[in-house]
Amino acid sequence: MTEYVGKPIPRYDGIGHVTGRTTFVDDIHLPGMLYIKVLLSPVHKGIIRHLDVSAAERMPGVAGVITAKDVPGKNAYGLIPDQPVFTPEHIRYKGERIAAVAAVDEDTAMEALEKIKLEIEEQTPVFDPFEAMQPDAPLVRPEGNVWVFNSGTTRKIRLGDVEEGFKQADYIIEGTYTNSTNDHAPMEPQVSVAYIDETDRLAIHTVSQDLYFHLGMLSAIFNLPMNKIRYIGGTVGGGFGAKNDIHCDHVAGLMALKIRKPVKYRLTRHEEMLYTTKRGPWTFEFKDGVKKDGRIVARKVRTIHDTGAYSGMGPYVVDKNAILVAGPFAIPNIWIDGICVYTNKPPASSMRGFGIINGTSAEQLQMNRIAEAIGMDPWEIRFINAWRDGDIGATQFTVVAAGLIEAMKRAAELAGVELPERLKAMSSRGR
Amino acid sequence: MKYILSFVLNGQPVDVLAEPTDTLLDVLREKLRVMSPKRGCDEGDCGACTVLLNGEPVRSCLTLALSVAGQEVMTVEGLSKNGKLHPLQRAFHEHYAAQCGFCTPGMILAAKALLDKNPHPTREEIVEAISGNLCRCGTYQEVLEAVQAVARGEYAEVKE
Amino acid sequence: MGECIYFAPTEIGEAVRLLAEYREKVTVVAGGTDLLPKINYYQLKPEVLLHIGRLGLDYIKEADGKLVIGAATPTSKLASNPLVAERASALAEAARQSGSAAIRTTATIGGNLANASPAADLATPLLILDAELLLTSTRGNRKVAINDFFVGPGKTVLEPDELLIEVSLPHQKGKSVFLKLGRRKAMTLSVVNVAVRLEMEGAQCKDARIALGAMAPVPLRCTRAESLIKGQVLDKSLIDRCAAEAVAESSPIDDQRATSWYRKKAGTVLVARALARAADMEG
Repeated sequence: MTEYVGKPIPRYDGIGHVTGRTTFVDDIHLPGMLYIKVLLSPVHKGIIRHLDVSAAERMPGVAGVITAKDVPGKNAYGLIPDQPVFTPEHIRYKGERIAAVAAVDEDTAMEALEKIKLEIEEQTPVFDPFEAMQPDAPLVRPEGNVWVFNSGTTRKIRLGDVEEGFKQADYIIEGTYTNSTNDHAPMEPQVSVAYIDETDRLAIHTVSQDLYFHLGMLSAIFNLPMNKIRYIGGTVGGGFGAKNDIHCDHVAGLMALKIRKPVKYRLTRHEEMLYTTKRGPWTFEFKDGVKKDGRIVARKVRTIHDTGAYSGMGPYVVDKNAILVAGPFAIPNIWIDGICVYTNKPPASSMRGFGIINGTSAEQLQMNRIAEAIGMDPWEIRFINAWRDGDIGATQFTVVAAGLIEAMKRAAELAGVELPERLKAMSSRGR
Repeated sequence: MKYILSFVLNGQPVDVLAEPTDTLLDVLREKLRVMSPKRGCDEGDCGACTVLLNGEPVRSCLTLALSVAGQEVMTVEGLSKNGKLHPLQRAFHEHYAAQCGFCTPGMILAAKALLDKNPHPTREEIVEAISGNLCRCGTYQEVLEAVQAVARGEYAEVKE
Repeated sequence: MGECIYFAPTEIGEAVRLLAEYREKVTVVAGGTDLLPKINYYQLKPEVLLHIGRLGLDYIKEADGKLVIGAATPTSKLASNPLVAERASALAEAARQSGSAAIRTTATIGGNLANASPAADLATPLLILDAELLLTSTRGNRKVAINDFFVGPGKTVLEPDELLIEVSLPHQKGKSVFLKLGRRKAMTLSVVNVAVRLEMEGAQCKDARIALGAMAPVPLRCTRAESLIKGQVLDKSLIDRCAAEAVAESSPIDDQRATSWYRKKAGTVLVARALARAADMEG
């Protein structure tokens, strides 16, 4: 064991990468392989009134067309399985899948898409989560535009009595912070290759970051037991959470099952940027009660997360954010309400940190705002409030092995900041 | 309409049928099955499809395939000689300059084009040379160190 | 995709004959860096592709006191050529800052102009250097001042049968400066770019050229701002007024790269900075 500790180990896949021999999914080519293109909704919200794919099916070079009718199992997937592979009727975001064509090449598939007759009754969409929360807002979802947690329409975190905390405070400092949508933009775009193998199993070469999680969903979509699906992963050209959700495997698998020929479905960079899952936008509303000496005695935060038209990992992300958004600080009274809102946008899902860094960026800006408001150095406000061993966190856990103060001292050193002696004397081991 | 395209690929003459609207990337990947140039954006932004055309780095996704008739194209497949890795390949491997590996072939060729012209570049010159090759994993520092190590002669060509 | 035919003539006469024959059906391709994304993303289905990379239009030379550049000269050569550096430093700087190494290798000066992007990096330096463009067709040659070349976004005075073959720059006095603001340091399109040339006699400005990119439907020569400083002794307040006037002549739009508001603010700063640099008044 010790021969490996503290020493660099050559990467097992390094030679493949530098010689270009690493086989990514788009590098796979099978004899007779067909290419898929998908008809995506041109409108943000509407109802499909008429869909006729027969002219596309008849086009030379086209091997098959599939729609919601061709889903043998459950036409829904996701951590909370609420997103259809192909929407049968309701369009909830621009770019929602309606039908797929497999053809000899992508140019032919694109031409075939133009032959599909599609009539949509367009409806008024809602894009702003605050508008979507209004009682008279257009409904993104029949059940309402706000996700319902076990604790109701908000994810609640409570510690102490926040109103009592505000009464003890010398200052009340409020701040609202927003993050915008963010695409993962892995260098390798989403792609899938599917075929029926020699043992009559459905084989799928995937870019999934999360094989067993996705295998379960695919099994439900295809109505196939998991042992009838060979789900082959391993080489991912960057994911960052983008490949935590299925974008191609379900479409490619359904097509291979229908036409029983090898197929490749890959997204263009434009399709990937415009229509796949994102890090969703957030709004954070902070209200803090602070004593003259810099101690934060109460923190109230409302978070509003826009998860787009389907859940993606939105509710999970809101949950995780709510647990951590108060920050690594000893605050005796904490009140957090996390809200997950649906809008007519592509679904938001996981991206690097599952909502934590969004919360941290807001919370750290708020710390600076507090420092400015009470005339204290931004380092000092953090040192004073940082967790020590034995402090109680927002979810009522006891902090052990705290390390923020030591980390900040090292950060100051690296940044060339000379900290005052009273801060240098502080330790996570006690106050 | 299809045309016969003849060019030199990694030292070997090749003939292939190509449409006028095919890009060099289309021909390399979809027809000749040379898979090291990657399709990352198909519009010249990402650099993953970089190949060398007569020694100069070009975006194969922005190069009309038929326009390379009679010219020399090099991909990473053409870098190793007799099974021996090129100094840049060894340096990239040993400096962990490839994480997911998708940008690596293009990055190595961008670096090769620089070193062929300028064997001892400054840090700024290396940064400039690879500025069109995106790496979303964030290995730029390791790439820089690998190229610097080659420039310092730490990976001298292995003599046969 | 429908059937597309391809020509790669080696003589200009043959190229213009093909243009005369196929006219509107022809898409001329030089480096292809602006064209290929449109083809790859199904936004353009060319019927006839005319590749002009083999016409011998890749040259930079001096002729009759002019700096003469072939239309198919790649941007990388503009960036490294000593003659361009000496005679048209703003053009060399714009070339260095355009695209990335692998784009500059193929992207050509003629393509950058004929593509007629309002943000074309090479257009503003050519505007301040009084460039003249040589267009040819089976009907003969004509010369067009660059200021008359652009008509709108993607539109120029080129007739369907005409080919841009050469850019020539008269010998210019004064110092020329190019500044570009993009979303990133490299490999980026201009949010705004500025080219300025000043002919100074001491602190007095004898002649001035100011051009703005990505600030109007076409690369824009700011003649009102120029006349504000011509013959005047330059100082900081006059430079600031001139910069404000230049931006007042523009009409930037909101797009994915920046808002009109931001472009005006940033454009004003850049013009002032470029003027100060060209007048050696920095510091």
